[in-house]
Amino acid sequence: MGDGIAASSATRLSGGDTAARAREASAGLQGSWAAPDSRRVLQLALGGLWLLDAVLQYQSAMFSRAFPQMLASAAQGNPAVIADPITWSARLIDHRVVAMNAIFATIQLLLGLGIAWRPTVRLALGASIAWALAVWWLGEGLGMVLTGTASPVNGAPGAVILYALLAVLLWPAARDRPSPFVAGRSVGTGAARLLWLVLWGSLGYLALQPAVRAPQALSASVSAMASGQPGWLAAADSDLGRLLSHQGLTASIILAAVLVTIALGIYLPLPAVRAVLILAVIAAVAIWVAQGLGGVFSGSGTDPNSGPLLVLLAVAYWPARQATAADPAGPAGPAPGSPM
Amino acid sequence: MSGPSWLAGGLAVVMIATAVYCVSRLVAAWRWRRPTEYDVDGVHVLMGVGMAGMLVPRLNSAAGSGWDIGGAAVFGAAMAWFGWRAIQGYRGGRAGPHAVAHHGQHVLASGAMLYMFLALPSAGAGGLAAGTAMAATGARIPTFALLLALGLFGYVIWTTDRLSSLAPATVTVMASGRAPVSAALSGPASVSITSSGQAPVSATRSGPAPVSIAQPGRVPVSAGPAMSPRLAACCEILMGVAMGYMLITML
Repeated sequence: MGDGIAASSATRLSGGDTAARAREASAGLQGSWAAPDSRRVLQLALGGLWLLDAVLQYQSAMFSRAFPQMLASAAQGNPAVIADPITWSARLIDHRVVAMNAIFATIQLLLGLGIAWRPTVRLALGASIAWALAVWWLGEGLGMVLTGTASPVNGAPGAVILYALLAVLLWPAARDRPSPFVAGRSVGTGAARLLWLVLWGSLGYLALQPAVRAPQALSASVSAMASGQPGWLAAADSDLGRLLSHQGLTASIILAAVLVTIALGIYLPLPAVRAVLILAVIAAVAIWVAQGLGGVFSGSGTDPNSGPLLVLLAVAYWPARQATAADPAGPAGPAPGSPM
Repeated sequence: MSGPSWLAGGLAVVMIATAVYCVSRLVAAWRWRRPTEYDVDGVHVLMGVGMAGMLVPRLNSAAGSGWDIGGAAVFGAAMAWFGWRAIQGYRGGRAGPHAVAHHGQHVLASGAMLYMFLALPSAGAGGLAAGTAMAATGARIPTFALLLALGLFGYVIWTTDRLSSLAPATVTVMASGRAPVSAALSGPASVSITSSGQAPVSATRSGPAPVSIAQPGRVPVSAGPAMSPRLAACCEILMGVAMGYMLITML
């Protein structure tokens, strides 16, 4: 619309048109709301995951002493410099578990809604990075990557660090960099590819650790997820556990090969990159099923684990039409009322 | 699984407050002809009351006397109504895709309420403590409950994303001229000017302000933030989060 009030041909509106417009108007649905671009859609998905985390954190098990005990268990096997702060924070939470957990859950609720509300997207993404780093250390023991027991199947390198990584990659930069995929628009294509390589490469490395490639390690890890799950998921995890029984080394080598292929595949030409990203999504979904969907059905899951985040990450690297901030009609165009 | 009773009690208070607010929207719309969606506000009242009754069964004097069957019937009908509205809008092409999605949101929320009423304990819920009614049975199809919760969270995020483009206040003015004009100006307020008996004309300056439709034959009215689309959307966000929480605690 132009600047001046320009009466349009309203007299030609039919009664039905008017009624429909009235419904939209009274619902506040008319206006200059800009449909989300691809980065915004991913930001919203990230916000949705924070919202899910918040609601899971509000479950009654989290208000009991089981919660600080779960946090304290993250100290096991970690070096003292990492473990001591974990133990200290778990004790602190244990003294006021109800209040502390209510605060934690509310923070995550605000992060989710803050990412979704356009005026606060930067603030919320920035806060989510700080929060995720704190939780990664004090709640997940750095994803147990220093203990020798971390495995992609049990959530390594820590689901929460993937929230921080996504917040960085989906950051609404004032001036986007040219990139064939969304993840490269804030940090640049080279840096985004390097982050992908490091993430999936480290997953491949972790899959080959001695404790992970032990004959029964993967089988036991997956089978343990079957308890308390709906029938179809319990059956899937039980069957997968049986399949992996005494096949730890073989399964670890295959898993590592897939993960390293995904890591290196981001440097391939675009058509091959798409195939690699599809492979990444399949691997992430398989890992998620092996994780029992993060234990969300168990009443004690605090997040859906790394599977959905790895999928979201793969989508962020999907090659698309290049667009920059100079292209207001393109995907990078900022939405009204938004700093994006 | 259940949530802590104090949290269920707090949520019940919020839901009752939301229901009371939606009643006030309905009353204001009826008494002073202010623009609103009667069906949406009506179903929000029912949802607020229904959720409060499920969260704190002691508040529910109708427990054990057909509360669950009645609730399921009401929300089954609401689901069908909003589904019909969405299909009608889609087929007619009169309402935009946002309106179709808007009705889809209410289909989902009504479906979630229907599901929760069907999963409630069939009798004796009135004697249970806050937050334990759902725990008494848990979800009958937990995967479906999770999908419903995820869908609701998706709508909460979608609604929050649109929040800043919704007017925080609505002003409706009746004009005496023959040609009806409705104008939405830049800034945070929505302005609508109409003459009696005419369909309004939409004209917009830059800015995220919706058009409001005034009813003919009435005195000028002005609806401030209390009747704004933004506050109505906040109700949807609150209800979506609460409903998602209830579904998650049923897993």
